[in-house]
This record gives sequence, C-alpha cells and structure tokens, in this order.
Amino acid sequence: MTDQPEIVRSLMSVWTASPLLSVALTLGAFIVAQWLFVRFRRPLWMPPVMIAALLLATVVALTGLGFERYEQGARWLTVLLGPATVALGVPLYQQMHHIRALWRPILVTLPLAATLAAAYALGIAWLMGATPEVLASLAPKSVTAPIAMGITEELGGSVSLTLGGLLITGVLASLFVDWCTRWLKITDDRIVGFALGLNGHAIGTARAFEISHTAGAFASLGMGLTGVFTALFLPLAFLLF
Amino acid sequence: MVMLRGFLVLVVFFLLGEAVRVFAGLPVSGGVLGMVMATVTLMVRGRVSTELATASQGLISILVLLITPGVVGVFFIADQFYGHWATVLVALVIGTLLSVFTTLLLMKKVAALGKEGGSHDRSA
Repeated sequence: MTDQPEIVRSLMSVWTASPLLSVALTLGAFIVAQWLFVRFRRPLWMPPVMIAALLLATVVALTGLGFERYEQGARWLTVLLGPATVALGVPLYQQMHHIRALWRPILVTLPLAATLAAAYALGIAWLMGATPEVLASLAPKSVTAPIAMGITEELGGSVSLTLGGLLITGVLASLFVDWCTRWLKITDDRIVGFALGLNGHAIGTARAFEISHTAGAFASLGMGLTGVFTALFLPLAFLLF
Repeated sequence: MVMLRGFLVLVVFFLLGEAVRVFAGLPVSGGVLGMVMATVTLMVRGRVSTELATASQGLISILVLLITPGVVGVFFIADQFYGHWATVLVALVIGTLLSVFTTLLLMKKVAALGKEGGSHDRSA
C-alpha cells in the first residue's frame, strides 16, 4: 500500500480531506448489506449490520484508507446517534398502554432480569480476570446500541468492543430464547417477545416480529425499558464498586 | 419541512439531555436523558405530533447505518484486546444463556401468580 502512484495518493488526500468518502462508503455498505441479507433469506446468525461492517472493514483495510481516517469522516453519521436515542422515546410512549395493562409483572421482572442480563456476564468475566476496560465494555451487552454506546463512554470502555459484544449477544439471545421456551414449555407470545427484547435488544426484537406482532410489540417494550433502566442504574452501580 | 421540524425537536431534547447531564453531574448519556424527557413530555401531552413521529421513524429506520462505523472498529481492535477474547466469548455465551433462562422462568412464575391472584377479567 506504500507503493501507490503519486496521482492515487493525491486523490486519496483530496477525498479524505472531507468526510464524504466515509459517508459514501458507509451508505454503500449499508445498502449492499440489506440486499445481501434478503438474498440469503434473512439468516438469524448474520444480521445486516454484521455484513455491512465486514464489507467496510475489508474496504478500509485493503485501500489503505485506515480505520482512524474512516472513523473521523463517519462521525458525520455517528453524531446522529444522540437524536436517534431520543427518537426511541416515541415508540416507548406508543407502547405505554401495554405498560399500564401489565405494570405489575413488568415491575417485578424487569429490574431483576435487566440487572441479571448484565450481572451474569460481568461476574463470569470478572472471575476470569477481565480488565476494568473489558468489564465496562461488556456491561451494557443487552442494551440497544445507541444507548449502550453512551453507557460504555460513561464507564470508560471501548465502544467497538461493546458493539461486538452486542452483536454476539443479540444473535445468541435469539437462539437461546428459542431453545428455552421449548424446554420450559412457554407459549405466551408476550413472554417470548419481552424476553427477546430484554436480552437481545434490536436483534432479538427483529426476531420477535418474525414470530408475531404481539411478540414484536412486547420485544420493543422490553428493549426500551431495559435500555432506560440499565442506562440509569448501571453507571450509578459502577460508581459504587 | 415536516421531517425537519420533528428532527429539530429531537435535537433540542438531546441538547437538553446533555444540559441535565452536565448540571446534575449524572453519569448517564445525554441521549438517554433526552429520551426519558421526551417520553415524559409525550405522556403529559397525551399524543405524538405527526412531525415528531415522522422524524423518529426516519432516524430509527437508519439506526443500523449509524452504528455500523462503530462495529467496523471491532475488526481493528483485535490487537488491543489480545488475550481477552476467550474471556469475552465465554462471558457472553454463558451469561446470555443464564439471563435468557432466568428471564423466562421469572416471567412464567409471575404470569402464573397473576392468574392465581384472581384476575377473572383477563382470559389470556
């Protein structure tokens, strides 16, 4: 990559002077990934974000653009995560009738289940001798990405490691909910959906919408409430330790 | 225009969230605080405007696009976390299995309790 001709190098420096090259690459990868995902019949283990990231990582590495320069340009997109997090409040409000109807079971299960979703993984990682940075990155593993990224930044973890953990968690949660509901003989779509959203954030919610609309609505609810609960309590809990 | 008005509302709530974070010294991200304030505002008002609904739907539909640059980073931090990958994977696999199982068991028990509690008005 060092023996590029002069003209290519000057073109690269012109292109990377503005963030638009990163924006174009990200948009392109996003669109190609959506298309590939549908072509491969929506595989549970390979969500579109994984396909897009693989494509981008290949391009960024092979062209010699480098991750740092790419990421700097892509900030023009990632800055929108702030308002996008606020936007999650709208569907949460629209689910409010479910919360009102079922506030008692939600109040009993959510705080405990959302705490355990973080605590099990943190406990195991801590026992295996993980560094504080790794622990901080894994803590929001069941929280939807925009909220999780905020939590990780507050705790001083690595956002990229968090996002990797989120992907793995989302895919695993979809598979495990499938096994466990069969084993525990649970047929209530509201419970299945809530568990998918609570443990598997957006990836679990997407899976729940494939089961039924009720499961999907409860998954959105579980995802939203887990996100808010974890974002409010996890940083405070971390301060105590 | 409709989309832009809704977008402005979202950005203003985000900025308000950041303001609360700084003034109250909370270790919670401005986006989450903005989301909580937006939800509470909607509950008080009792309805969502078309502008806000359109703008939030638009942003939520491109969430995957917005997190992709961060996910790309996963492939470039392999060296930084060399020696931690086994820990990360074991923690995620076992942790997620345990938490999925506990959630389902807990909800099954609570749902059963709810029925014994005598709510005859709800059949499902």
